[in-house]
Amino acid sequence: MIAAAALLMLILWLITIPLSWAPEPIGNNAQLFADGTRVTVELTIVAGLVGVLLGLLAALGKVSKVLPLRWLASFYIWVMRGTPLLVQVLFVYFALPEISPLLRMGEFTAASVALALNVGAYNAEAIRSGLLAVPKGQLEAARSLGLSRWHTFVDITFPQAFKISLPPLVNNIVALLKDSSLAFTIGVVELTNAGSQVKSTSFQAVPVFIATAIIYLVLTTVMTQISDAVERRFDIEGKLA
Amino acid sequence: MSATAVSPLITVEGVHKHFGSHHVLKDVTTHFNAGEVAAILGASGSGKSTLLRMLNRLETHDAGRIVVDGIEVNDDARALEKLRAEVGMVFQQFNLFPHLTVLDNVALAPRRVRGLNRDQAAERARELLERVGLAAHIDKHPFQLSGGQQQRVAIARSLAMQPKVMLFDEPTSALDPEMVKEVLDVMKQLARSGMTMLVVTHEMGFAREVADRVLFIDQGRIAADAPPEQFFGNQDNERVSAFLGRILH
Repeated sequence: MIAAAALLMLILWLITIPLSWAPEPIGNNAQLFADGTRVTVELTIVAGLVGVLLGLLAALGKVSKVLPLRWLASFYIWVMRGTPLLVQVLFVYFALPEISPLLRMGEFTAASVALALNVGAYNAEAIRSGLLAVPKGQLEAARSLGLSRWHTFVDITFPQAFKISLPPLVNNIVALLKDSSLAFTIGVVELTNAGSQVKSTSFQAVPVFIATAIIYLVLTTVMTQISDAVERRFDIEGKLA
Repeated sequence: MSATAVSPLITVEGVHKHFGSHHVLKDVTTHFNAGEVAAILGASGSGKSTLLRMLNRLETHDAGRIVVDGIEVNDDARALEKLRAEVGMVFQQFNLFPHLTVLDNVALAPRRVRGLNRDQAAERARELLERVGLAAHIDKHPFQLSGGQQQRVAIARSLAMQPKVMLFDEPTSALDPEMVKEVLDVMKQLARSGMTMLVVTHEMGFAREVADRVLFIDQGRIAADAPPEQFFGNQDNERVSAFLGRILH
């Protein structure tokens, strides 16, 4: 897992080099592609981390005994999954500042907020299914030992639920990486935006978008590598041959 | 026992329990003293497991009173955690924590609840695992153990909290026949050490040999409560005779 994460860092550091070897119009725009790639990864990491946290909170809200919390979590998931991500991005960037000037954000922040809110709703369902999949006997055993609710959650429920939720969570993060291209619409110069800019100056759509697609493919492949490594780390029962 | 003796460790008074329209326990009153080993028998669905699980509030009771070690069993979360720390429980399905090693299964609760540090908890866990004959398996995970071994880990896990009473909910019912003995042996050893034990079981041999007292639950009531010689001897209760006839063939 550390190796895969290091690989991701290495790609981000050195991506300019192979790009600059490529023929025009990629080679002479290598820096723009590299910067766009970096922004895409930053968006994914920031929104991904916040999104996992939001997902955890919303999942806990949905399984909570407190009715208003359940309502709140259900409402959040309902809205975020029921409306287009593009509308959410535009709403956060253009509409929120009109509601209150305090909610005025830069392009990157607005895109991160919208993406985090969106992926958080999907993560909530993934985590909730994990929480529900932990057998009742586990909770009974933890409680009968006198463990507090907090320790029951931290030591018993969460580690088991996390393992179950991991594959769908990774799925969501891979989708997030690709969906981060919607930040284009509010002017964030991420990978797709960078590619589009190169296309406008070079008028060569085919090589530009092939290169853009290949970079996305490399990133998603590395991410699945990381998640496979994490899954294997938690696979103490040797279910993954 | 004389009237001046200490109050019972567990008091159950006029307890009722319903599951929907099903009246599982009907006005159950009894008590258990420290050091006593009680076997609780009865047909499946008679309410014997429910009675046991109410003692540490894995099930709630609808009416009546339960007091364990001076703690009223109710929804007071703090009191409940305190109570559960004093009441060990062993389940039919073991319920070991699959993501933890055998050692950590046993050492977790003493660290979290009793405030032992990692070394102290590990030390205590090692001693107990040795006592149940699993010293060689402390670094394994539960899935690597047989059912009998898992149940012995579960017993050690409960004992690590140094409880005042141990509840056993059909501890050998999920085991292959050849593994029943190793678990019963550990339980016998525990009974000899003076532990207070309430055992819901179908192991008549264990009840006869180890228990001080046999309770027979029938249709939600305590239908018989006698020392084993009397219970398994001249039995004038028809339902008990019928039950024993079915069990003992």
